[in-house]
Amino acid sequence: MMGIGCGAKQPSVALENARTAYTQAEQEPQVAAHAPAALREAKQTLDRAETAWEKDRDETEISHLAYLTEQRVEIAEAIAERELADADRETLSQEREVILREARAREAEQARIEAERTQREAELALVDRQAAAAQIETLKRQLGALQAKTQETERGTILTLDSVLFETNKVALKSGALQNLYPLVTFLRDNPERTIKIEGHTDSMGDEDYNLELSQRRAESVRMFLVQNGVEPNRIIARGYGETAPVAPNDTAAGRQQNRRVELVFPN
Amino acid sequence: MVQRFQYVRWIGVGLVGCMLGLGGCSAGKAPTATLAKAELAVDQASKSKASEYASLELRTAREHLENAKQAMQQKNYEQARRQAEKALVSAQLAETKAEAASARQTAEELRKSIESLRREAGRFSMKN
Repeated sequence: MMGIGCGAKQPSVALENARTAYTQAEQEPQVAAHAPAALREAKQTLDRAETAWEKDRDETEISHLAYLTEQRVEIAEAIAERELADADRETLSQEREVILREARAREAEQARIEAERTQREAELALVDRQAAAAQIETLKRQLGALQAKTQETERGTILTLDSVLFETNKVALKSGALQNLYPLVTFLRDNPERTIKIEGHTDSMGDEDYNLELSQRRAESVRMFLVQNGVEPNRIIARGYGETAPVAPNDTAAGRQQNRRVELVFPN
Repeated sequence: MVQRFQYVRWIGVGLVGCMLGLGGCSAGKAPTATLAKAELAVDQASKSKASEYASLELRTAREHLENAKQAMQQKNYEQARRQAEKALVSAQLAETKAEAASARQTAEELRKSIESLRREAGRFSMKN
């Protein structure tokens, strides 16, 4: 080992390392671009170490300055890394904002389409209902001779035929009634999506079971009339209720006449 | 009493150091300003995210600062100056590294968030 003061210069390992670290960082474009001040400080410290080496070769001071140089080089590298990460963060943040904005726009568009569709459906449903009501109003006029009355209920539109379709205690339709009922055939043919329920009712005169049977067979008669005129049987339900569902008191002739009726129910 | 005893002891050590020609007695002025700057830097780094993201560097800075204070008490001013300078750069390094790591982590979280948003959007467009 050479003693201090020997003429030949023993290279300092610490100084070599610091020099290498600095040179590498300096050649790193990101570090040079983002941390010029920190790099300059590292260079100044390195220069001091070099000077100490040239001047008095105080090993303690040289390795101290070399240590400081390496730390400052690391600081410069960390600054560059921070700046890059910050730039990434900024870019990604904007990208995310755009994606979120697009997603919100897409959701709003979806909601708008949905709302439009709902409104359109509501409008169409209203048109349908109005058209259906109009059809039945027309039918009512066409059944004029039978003095039909219409009524909107939860079950649908009910068209009540007050006028006598049948002779007392008879099941077959009166011949005049056939003619008068014909608009119903036309209506069902023109509106093939329509179904109909025919309900027969009686007053309370006479035997209860008899009345039930009579109303059932009368409803069937109307059904048969429709089927014979080309309405599909599966569109028609016929049922008798006898005296079980009066619409007026049975103790007057007028009330009883109101109770003797056929109701045509058109489901909505 | 204990403090006074230590004080007396340090003076003794200093005197012995001077007599032996060791340490920095002959180096002159105490590096008070350098030590204060180092202390401030370490304090600032401690309050930063360094404890979370650069604990090793922060510990190094604290150790250097401790060494500097001890050397100061021993009137070993040369050693105190060097340790204070080391503490300062280590504290700055700890803080800067922590800032870099924190920014990098935030960027990574954003990247993941974007990926998951993209996946969601992908499912959305497939559904519709």
